[in-house]
Amino acid sequence: MKSFWPVRLASIVGVVALCFALDRAVLAAAPAQYRLLILASLFVILAVSLNLINGITGQFSIGHAAFAMIGAYTAGTLSKNPAFASMPHPQLLAVMTLLGALVAATFGFIVGLPSLRLRGDYLAIVTLGFGEIIRIVTNATESLGGSYGMPVAPKVQFLWWSLLLMVACIALCRNLLKTTHGLTFLAVREDEVAGLAMGVNVTMTKVVAFVIGAAFAGAAGAVLAHTEAFISPRTFPMEMSFIILTMVVLGGTGSITGSALAAVVLFAIPEYLRTLTDAQGKAYEMNAGLFMGILVAIMIAVAASKWIQTNVHEKGKKLGFYAGAWLAVIPLGFLFQTILHLSPTLKTLAFGIDILRYAVFAVVLIALMLLRPQGIFGHHEIGWHWFRKRPVPATEGGAA
Amino acid sequence: MSEAQPILRLDEATIKFGGLTAVNKVSFELNRGDIFGLIGPNGAGKTTCFNLITGVYKPTSGEIYFQGQPIGGLAPNKIATRGICRTFQNIRLFSALSSVENVMIGAHLRHRVPLVGALLLAPNSVAETKALQERSMHLLELVNLADYANHRSADMSYGKQRRLEIARALATDPELILLDEPAAGMNPQEKEELLYTVRRIRDELNKTVLVIEHDMRFVMGLCERIVVLDHGEEIAQGPPDAIRNNPKVIEAYLGEPA
Repeated sequence: MKSFWPVRLASIVGVVALCFALDRAVLAAAPAQYRLLILASLFVILAVSLNLINGITGQFSIGHAAFAMIGAYTAGTLSKNPAFASMPHPQLLAVMTLLGALVAATFGFIVGLPSLRLRGDYLAIVTLGFGEIIRIVTNATESLGGSYGMPVAPKVQFLWWSLLLMVACIALCRNLLKTTHGLTFLAVREDEVAGLAMGVNVTMTKVVAFVIGAAFAGAAGAVLAHTEAFISPRTFPMEMSFIILTMVVLGGTGSITGSALAAVVLFAIPEYLRTLTDAQGKAYEMNAGLFMGILVAIMIAVAASKWIQTNVHEKGKKLGFYAGAWLAVIPLGFLFQTILHLSPTLKTLAFGIDILRYAVFAVVLIALMLLRPQGIFGHHEIGWHWFRKRPVPATEGGAA
Repeated sequence: MSEAQPILRLDEATIKFGGLTAVNKVSFELNRGDIFGLIGPNGAGKTTCFNLITGVYKPTSGEIYFQGQPIGGLAPNKIATRGICRTFQNIRLFSALSSVENVMIGAHLRHRVPLVGALLLAPNSVAETKALQERSMHLLELVNLADYANHRSADMSYGKQRRLEIARALATDPELILLDEPAAGMNPQEKEELLYTVRRIRDELNKTVLVIEHDMRFVMGLCERIVVLDHGEEIAQGPPDAIRNNPKVIEAYLGEPA
């Protein structure tokens, strides 16, 4: 352990330097993407912090956007205070992030203490209800701007700060899993009764996970408020909770790296679809018949894949079958389009291509649940050990 | 603490579920270093008895004393902290985790890594975790599972899973260990090894053992004293030989003579 402090200090300095360098590089090379990258890193924080609750501790919580909202409104309200407003921007953002995290954590504790006695579906209902209550109450509170929303001043966009926050969130979760303390969280997920018999304070563990998760969501919300300079209940719709949940499930519940990666991908897809515009800046339109045709074809391909998964066992044959099933999507899609165009309504009806993102989420989720219910990475982490031969327990690794 | 004081004492422990009395006024005592058997036909209330001792259920009446202290109705994790640990009849391992991680969760009870230290991966948390990992490996050796340390516990055979449960329970460093049908699903050779392991747990680790088992040869060969339950009531108590020839016990197992 002698080399601990030099290694730790070096890695912290390295990370900070890297975040600043990335910040400068993006500003120089792609300033248009600066804000989007901040939002992407915030979604990574939201997904990784929900993964701590859902994936690692196994508590089905689906109201995560509410904690981000609490953090955002905390920052929005407190930054109006002259004592804070006079601060230089970096300090202001840091203080607001901290306060947002604290208030969200407090809410997490108040909600978590009674409701974490519930399990599975029941907890999901409570957290869903909590999320809606927060949104509706805000919507009806004049002093918070009601449904019109609330301008947040000053507008502070610091990519380096959100990146640092993201690294901190990922590092803390990963550190936790490297010690026996983290194993008790996994014990709660795996079997509460056995956990209790081994002396694990199950309720306490759940509340701690919930509070840490809420704190990070609150921090992300506070940064979001200052990045966008405007927040309203519509900034945090119910879909947001579901999108975060989709990120966690897609990445593999319990896999930190999986959640982070899925968050980036699922954030990028709708943003990319939004950029698909013609010369006038209008979104491309898609024919409803074609859309439905392709959707049906994809569903058939998913069903075929499921069949292949259970019935074909030779590796080469399996790959060929998969390729065939998914290549067939294109001709099948056009075939269905032709059939659907027999209806004049479907032939003329069209909609903006950016709406597709809802369909993307739905299709991805259906395909995933059927073909790989444990998520893309399952409980595994992506890392160097993928290149080693032996499976590595979660607890192995250095002190860095 | 005086030598004469029993480590565990059930004093007319009773539990009723609605109209059903699952355990009715059961009393017995375990002395330090005993290997004590709890037997009876199916549905006799043996596992319910374990659940009472480990705090899964709160006794409706009567009391349970552990090292002289009443423990009836304490939370299961508090009872584990006092020094009682158990295995489960229907194996309850942390299935997605490896063997050694299962044991480490048991071991964390005596050497807690503080939360903040864990989050920041402080040097002492890492050292503590390493130490627990080593301790857990020793326990896996004790139950002959050292070669399976990194195997996912759900993927192991039934007999290995039972042994892993014993290692995990031992990791909490209990004074008293409760084994719920440890030999179920084992072949004769595995049973022989288990017999030896349980004796080692008592002789080398100085634990007291309370065991539920259906295999009569196993129980009679292992236990020094046995209590027999039938329909929630205690029908006999004594050394194996006396139990084997007790007409009430024979009747409970085989039915009334025709």
